[in-house]
Amino acid sequence: MRESVTLVHIRTQLGPWLDLHMQRRGRLLVGMLLMLLTALSALGLLAVSGWFITASALTGAVLAMGGTAMLDVYTPGGAIRLFAVSRTVSRYIERLYNHDTILRLLADLRGRLFDALVRMDGERLSGRRASDWLNRLTADIDTLDALYLRLLAPPLVALLLSIALVALVGFWVPEAALWLGLALGVSWCWLTLGQARLGLTASRRRVQTLEELRSATMETLRGLAELEAYEALVRRREQLEGIEQRLLRDQWRLSIVAGIGNALAATAIGLCWVMVLVFAIPAFQAGAVSAPVMVMLPLAAMALSEGLTPLPAAFTQFGASLAAAERLNQIDECRSDEGHISDLPNGPLALSVEAVAHRYPGAMFQALEEVSLTLEPGQRVAVSGPSGAGKSTLLALISGQMAVQQGRILLAGHDIASLSPQCLSSAVGCLTQQVDLFDARIADNLWIADPEASEQRLWQALEAVDLADWAASLEEGLATRLGEGGRQLSGGQARRMALARLWLSDPGLVVLDEPFAGLDADTAERVRHGLEDWLAGRSVVYLVHEHDPSRPKPGMQGVTLGLELGLQDPLAWHDEAESVTM
Amino acid sequence: MEAAITDRATSGGSPARRWLSRRTAEQSHWLNLAVLCGGLAGLATVGQLVLLAGLIDVVIRKDGGVAAVWPWLMGILLLLGVRALLSIAQELAAQRGSQRLRQRVRREVLDHLAALGPVRLTQYHTASLAHQWVEQVEALDGYAARFWVQMRLVALVPLVILVLVAWQDWLAAILLALTAPLIPLFMALVGMGAEALNREQFVAVARLSAHFVDRVRGITTLRLFGAGPRATVEVVAAADDYRRRSLRTLRLAFLSSAVLEFFSSVAIAVVAIYIGFGLLGDIPFGPAQDLTLFSGLLILLLAPEFFQPLRTLSLFYHDRASALAASDGLCELLAETPDERRHVPDRLVDDAHLLLSLQGVTLDHSGRGRVLGPIDLVIPRGDVLAISGPSGSGKSSLLQVLAGFVGAGEGRRLVAHDLAFAWMDQRPLLIHGSLADNLALTAPDADDCRMMAALERAGLGALVRALPEGLETSIGEGGRGLSGGQAQRLALARIFLSNAPLVLLDEPTASLDAVTEGILIEGFRELAAEGRTLVIATHHPALMAMGNRQLIMDAGREVTCANQ
Repeated sequence: MRESVTLVHIRTQLGPWLDLHMQRRGRLLVGMLLMLLTALSALGLLAVSGWFITASALTGAVLAMGGTAMLDVYTPGGAIRLFAVSRTVSRYIERLYNHDTILRLLADLRGRLFDALVRMDGERLSGRRASDWLNRLTADIDTLDALYLRLLAPPLVALLLSIALVALVGFWVPEAALWLGLALGVSWCWLTLGQARLGLTASRRRVQTLEELRSATMETLRGLAELEAYEALVRRREQLEGIEQRLLRDQWRLSIVAGIGNALAATAIGLCWVMVLVFAIPAFQAGAVSAPVMVMLPLAAMALSEGLTPLPAAFTQFGASLAAAERLNQIDECRSDEGHISDLPNGPLALSVEAVAHRYPGAMFQALEEVSLTLEPGQRVAVSGPSGAGKSTLLALISGQMAVQQGRILLAGHDIASLSPQCLSSAVGCLTQQVDLFDARIADNLWIADPEASEQRLWQALEAVDLADWAASLEEGLATRLGEGGRQLSGGQARRMALARLWLSDPGLVVLDEPFAGLDADTAERVRHGLEDWLAGRSVVYLVHEHDPSRPKPGMQGVTLGLELGLQDPLAWHDEAESVTM
Repeated sequence: MEAAITDRATSGGSPARRWLSRRTAEQSHWLNLAVLCGGLAGLATVGQLVLLAGLIDVVIRKDGGVAAVWPWLMGILLLLGVRALLSIAQELAAQRGSQRLRQRVRREVLDHLAALGPVRLTQYHTASLAHQWVEQVEALDGYAARFWVQMRLVALVPLVILVLVAWQDWLAAILLALTAPLIPLFMALVGMGAEALNREQFVAVARLSAHFVDRVRGITTLRLFGAGPRATVEVVAAADDYRRRSLRTLRLAFLSSAVLEFFSSVAIAVVAIYIGFGLLGDIPFGPAQDLTLFSGLLILLLAPEFFQPLRTLSLFYHDRASALAASDGLCELLAETPDERRHVPDRLVDDAHLLLSLQGVTLDHSGRGRVLGPIDLVIPRGDVLAISGPSGSGKSSLLQVLAGFVGAGEGRRLVAHDLAFAWMDQRPLLIHGSLADNLALTAPDADDCRMMAALERAGLGALVRALPEGLETSIGEGGRGLSGGQAQRLALARIFLSNAPLVLLDEPTASLDAVTEGILIEGFRELAAEGRTLVIATHHPALMAMGNRQLIMDAGREVTCANQ
């Protein structure tokens, strides 16, 4: 499937995430100590109770026979009450504290992922399935936030609890300590490392299979019309069931592994207390320990369950965390090289696209056939072509979202690869075909372009795209929330909102991908008019569909993109004058 | 009372709960087996503790050495082994039941989706349907395999322990029962707390995730505006804000489990002190006078076990909440009634000449009113019918009715006995797999030779021959490796491979480049020349010209029908 899993591989994959955790090591330590305190309280409660009852029974027996005996009932009684309370309180505080930690870690993890996404090469982001991929990443982050509570703290708590127990037993019955320590050491290794090893392949693959099943389901649902027409649904369902079977088989394997792990944990705990007992009985008979102590020690060993029981289930699923980390790490590998030139002249910028072509990884065809165009400062060009001809790819390349594979792109004479991301994003303004609006207030959405803009500026921006009246009619005005993905808006409104946002920025080059798609003719005309002042004094690239009415007009430079591999001359110039009016 | 609360927790309330408990009950043989194994494992634990108490009694009071208690030790070890096997059996039985449950539910949902048909499914987001079918059904696992089983163990094992304790010392038993003021009450308490926690947490976490997903989805825009670093800060701040707010709820919500923990700790403490003083002879009444070291120890050892199942159950409340949330969504989906008229067409009498006929057919969409008809249409064999009209005039609806993807509201759809049809729209079916897999899906009997020929006719021959792996080339998830035009030509190749006499084409050339358009139109001509019947909904002049009959529609009605 993938490369075999070595310890080095695990360390490199989980390393960055562990480092991130370690930034909060103080909190992690406190949380872990609270867990330990809870477990130790349980141990103390049972051990002291056992001691007390045995001591009472012996004293009572002496008293009943008319002898004299003294038993301090207050110290053990107090200890029992103390442990009862400390177990409850430490457990409560521990849960609260650790949930706080987890939520802090989640913020850290999300911050890190987001930062990595901001810096990555945009190849994946431009792919057709980008949104599915991004959803998966967020799910992976949620998997990793369990790292501390499931995989980091419990084994350490179990280890410390074991050491405490060995010390306690060793204090009274030294000869038992060695064997107990050995048994606990072996059990601990098995329940953590052994379980992780046994469950690794299946739990790692399970995540993958789930993903496969989900995408196969989507394909099936999208193609349902054809499947029904050709009566192929039955065959397709067999394929889906085949994938589901693989999923269930892996789960079954994991159940067996986890089941054995749980049984082994319980058995190990049982064997430990039996072993302690076997050592304690002769010690008692030899007079080395009293009867209450002999009873106390195995009871203390029973409290191991507080530490060992959670281990097998968590470690059997170790592979899932590893797989999540592996996928997230891929983003870091896609980190784009950042240029460092950060000063471009103000005003309109010259653009030169020289023999640029692009092919997405794994694609059979080129997304963009070789294209060249030059644009003097302040000029406008219209690039037209059918869907899939590579218009959006061209936009992603010009705006520096993706690295240029072939040919080069110069902005004001500089290769865009040499420009810093900040410089590039302020020099090139884009309206993408798919408009992203955020579930936030209108003002927040606009401030993305210019966080310093005054409210008055925001209104001007809305005025330019003919949305001011609409916004003014809203009860909450600029504070109106737009809903998930701008759902509260119609397609045309969303497009205009994105144009208003663009209006607030001050780029020297503007790339507009089908700027008026989804607008009726009147609105399109008003928006065109509203934007004219802003567009004047900037270089503009229009990307338009070949059937779009706003395709090159007489007097405007135009480029047509070709599409299919070797089917036609990929590039045809409209030999019109290079005037820039529109 | 116990039964009443059990009932409320599993089957009362919403239809989703009833559905979930019904589906779970169907697998009850496996799950009950798990309960049985769990119960027996619990008994084995109790047995161990009885043996331990007895062993200590022998050692201390009768001065027996290790040799004297050897049989006791062996008994304990034996029970350890038995318990281990039983717990494995419990896990596996529960998993088997849960797997069968999930398989059953997946089949049910997929049957339902297939019954709803391609047209009705367009109102759903495909990704969220897939998420429901895969992840939401997975979420039922914890409920069936853990919560359901543990729910029953909670009622079994503590009862046995209580009886055992009462047999030794009824006052201690009452103490236990008092400190746990009836298990059901506890359960309700924990349940309410956990539910409140889950409801609030679910909402908070969902809102936080939604915020994050929203920002991630718009990452391209944020990058374009150079707003990435600012947004990163915002994402972290939002998570931190939610943390502070949700901690306020958690502070209360965790109290319920703290109460459980407190009572179980206090019960052990009280029982220990009671027994201690009883053994000392300080309690001169009731059964305390008869306490022995054996009975005292046994009661003490059993006290934590008495509460253990309940503590375990409280860990599984989260599973239950997720399963209920998932069932809510699934039930809502299943509540959508499929169109029953979709699959019961009438037979044509004269099917030597006719393939399909619509008589007074209408179609209504909720919210949009009448979108089609009443319309009469006869499709003779070998006909090429071009349907045109402005968008929204009902072209696609007519095609969907012809295909049987939607059932007619009124009127009748009559079909020939041998009606099989091919379908093509703008979004061809593409599966993750090789080109051959994609062709074989609709033409399972075709060999490589026929596949190549079909690809050749669809204008993909040169491209595929140039590929090093040919037909075995993988086209990637969602057809990532193909352009839109190539995908359409693949769909055309599928039509060539099929022997379907009727070919339904829904705007097959929309938003394609001119070259692909030309290839497709040429392909359709060939199909017509083969004698196949074509029905084409289109705006494209060249396609319209292909028809030997033209049907122009407006507002769901036929405007003109002209023969050429």
